[in-house]
Amino acid sequence: MRVVIAEDQVLLREGLARLFADGGHQVVSTLGDAATVAEVVDQEKPDLVVLDIRMPPTYTDEGARAAREIKDRHPEIGVLLLSQHIETTHAVDLVGRPGFGYLLKDRVLEVEEFLQTAGRVAAGGSALDPTVVGKLVAPAAGSPLARLSDRERRVLELMAEGLTNTAISHRLVLSERTVEAHVRHVLLKLDIPENDEGNRRVLAVLTHLREMHDWS
Amino acid sequence: MAPSRLRPLPGLLLTLTVLAELAAVVLSWRLEPAYDTLLNVVFSCAFAGTGFLILSRHPRHVIGWLLLAVGVENALALDLAQGYGLRAAAEGWPGGPVAEAIVMAGWLPQAPAFVLIVLLFPTDRLPGRRWWLVVWMSVLGVALAEPGWVLNPLSGGEYAAGPNPYAVEGPLPDVLFVIGFTLTATALLTAFVGALVRFRRSIGVERQQLKWFALSTGVLVVIAAPALVFWEATPVVPLLAAVCLTVWPVTIGIAVLRYRLYDVDLVLSRTFTYLMLTVVLAVVYAAAVVVLGAVVGRDEAWVTAGATLLAAASFKLLHRRVQDRVDRRFRPERHRALSVVAAFTERLRHDQAEPEGVVDALRDAMGDPELELRFVLQPGEPPVDTHGRPATGPDAPGRERYPVLRGWTVLAEVVWSPSEERRALLGSVVAAADLPIEMARLRVELRRRLDEVAESRSRLAAVADQERRRIERDLHDGAQQRLVSIGLALRHAQHQLGADADEAKATLDEAVVEISAAIEDLRELAHGLRPALLQAGLGPALRDLASRSPVPVEVSATTDRFAPDVEAAAYFVASEGLTNAVKHARADQVVLQVARQNSTLVVSVADDGVGGAAVERGSGLTGLSDRVAARGGRLRIESARGHGTTLIAELPCAS
Repeated sequence: MRVVIAEDQVLLREGLARLFADGGHQVVSTLGDAATVAEVVDQEKPDLVVLDIRMPPTYTDEGARAAREIKDRHPEIGVLLLSQHIETTHAVDLVGRPGFGYLLKDRVLEVEEFLQTAGRVAAGGSALDPTVVGKLVAPAAGSPLARLSDRERRVLELMAEGLTNTAISHRLVLSERTVEAHVRHVLLKLDIPENDEGNRRVLAVLTHLREMHDWS
Repeated sequence: MAPSRLRPLPGLLLTLTVLAELAAVVLSWRLEPAYDTLLNVVFSCAFAGTGFLILSRHPRHVIGWLLLAVGVENALALDLAQGYGLRAAAEGWPGGPVAEAIVMAGWLPQAPAFVLIVLLFPTDRLPGRRWWLVVWMSVLGVALAEPGWVLNPLSGGEYAAGPNPYAVEGPLPDVLFVIGFTLTATALLTAFVGALVRFRRSIGVERQQLKWFALSTGVLVVIAAPALVFWEATPVVPLLAAVCLTVWPVTIGIAVLRYRLYDVDLVLSRTFTYLMLTVVLAVVYAAAVVVLGAVVGRDEAWVTAGATLLAAASFKLLHRRVQDRVDRRFRPERHRALSVVAAFTERLRHDQAEPEGVVDALRDAMGDPELELRFVLQPGEPPVDTHGRPATGPDAPGRERYPVLRGWTVLAEVVWSPSEERRALLGSVVAAADLPIEMARLRVELRRRLDEVAESRSRLAAVADQERRRIERDLHDGAQQRLVSIGLALRHAQHQLGADADEAKATLDEAVVEISAAIEDLRELAHGLRPALLQAGLGPALRDLASRSPVPVEVSATTDRFAPDVEAAAYFVASEGLTNAVKHARADQVVLQVARQNSTLVVSVADDGVGGAAVERGSGLTGLSDRVAARGGRLRIESARGHGTTLIAELPCAS
């Protein structure tokens, strides 16, 4: 996997680069800000771009804007947005596009899982941080989510994070058939039309959850 | 004649008058009653002096010249000649009868001067061209009466030697005198009619001047007419006459020179008040004497004492009422103005008016809608209006400032456009309104102090907010990132160790877990300082807040955006309200609402718990109340025991 990293903090940038290198991936470029990311991506055509949301000069949403630009120009390139805390405004409207992920920064410490997620995004999959998902699937009073069993909610969370049925079955140590049954139940209870695997399913789930929460 | 050449003349004539009078006093001393001598001195000097004063200001003023002329003529032709005539007769000096004849001829020529003065006053112009006829009539009258008087045998009584040495026998002198005197007297009376006509047409300054004239002429007529009859009765009578005669030219001078012109209303009102009081009290006294005399008999001491007591008691009772009535008639402006202020003070006393309303009362009283009242809070500082705003810029042209004093301290100043008639009124009006003015000033001062406190509180809150934002950013971008980097370094070390060092890898795992926990702690800490989600607006931040609550929370929030500090305050109200609902109220359900109402952001947190909360009780609520107040808002709690608690914060948000 060929990776471009844009992160303003040197230590973190080097750490990320090493992490990808240790994992056997090729880091083709590391950048300190978002100004030249699009240019570099145009040249290098990497498989994955890792971006910090807050970067110079204003430390607000440079990374998010760069992410959108890259996704618009190269839909096939995976973009993984990292953030110190959840900033829904920038992330949510990109979530659901194929090949996009949004994670809290400290997820990188779980190296194996992080690299898996990065690989999934590079391959056109989705990834949404469990914190965001947790907020989305938290049952509010009278919400249909309250009708889900604990196991079903866990499956829903992993669906929303972007995991496939196979990945969910690995994560929860269940058979794939059991997971499929849970997924069906979840979709049924939430009144989501059953769909084929992958991003479209994530998209449908997220859209539904967002509508339920009126998440702006 | 150029005024410059005339300039020394009035002074010379005045000196001449004084010297002539001195000589006249010396010559006639002990040869005639002292009253007569002094009366004439006062008369001449009053006329000449007033004439001189008028001419020193207005060198061409005809009335000034006329007054001066009357004074000089009176001193020379009447007093000096009289003195010489008397002394000549007593000491056997020559020319006595000639001097006495001059005295005989001296008084009549003053009549045309008086006619002219009455007709010219106060503008120095006749009321109309036809009035010249009256002047010529008086001149003709004097021309006829003069020989009739000087040559008349009847006027012999005036001569020290006895008979008139210049007497002409026959009816001619009598006829001449009667015709001439009638003409002169008619001319004089007609002149007064002219003055009356002028008064009825007059306005403003001219009217005030004529009022002075009417006052002194009226007093002169009222006192001088009876005085002529009772001249010999008591020495007081000629003395009174002398005073009146002196007052007459002096009031003319006052009116012409416009010195304290508007005090005439006060003088008039006082004069009438006391005149009426005198009459009423005399009636009361007389009635009391009669009634008491009939009741208790003829014991004079008792009757007098009783009547006096009654009159004295009536005085106190009547004085204010009569004064009020007379004021209403003679000084309607003043009466109305003071009534306005008195009515306002009364409403203030009954809590029906605010002290600041004193400005409107003053405007109404002074008839100046632009009038301003500016309070001096600190000497040397610019004065402020009722809203505590400093008065800026120079005063508009024609505006004047009038200080409102207490002792030597300036409390306030009235800025207004004075008119001639009202200038004298302001002092009394301000004095009548001094209490409301001081109350208003104290309130302005208090309000300003409170504003200052509120401002500084709001500044402190803003600083605290800013500081919180900075710490939050530092935590996210500094410590947290650094920890992530260290964690990554450890992971790398783990990787470098390869497959063999299981123990070391386990140690590193633990270290990374610790670091993750530290990062999580920092995130929570930063969140408590200022939720990062507020960047996305109140809706997302509050829904996030609700999602972490153990109690179901229903959120409805506006999608409008507000100033960061307003959003922060709203968020913390919601957060604190939610915490209270969970911790103290034992609630099962909370409804959280944020909505804009015009220029107010209303945050309400309603639970279905036990109720009974109060701002004073929980320190958390007190702190919240301060936080809301620091942004100029208001925190309310509706918390009846058993009916849940609703926390409502209203935060001003300029749209």
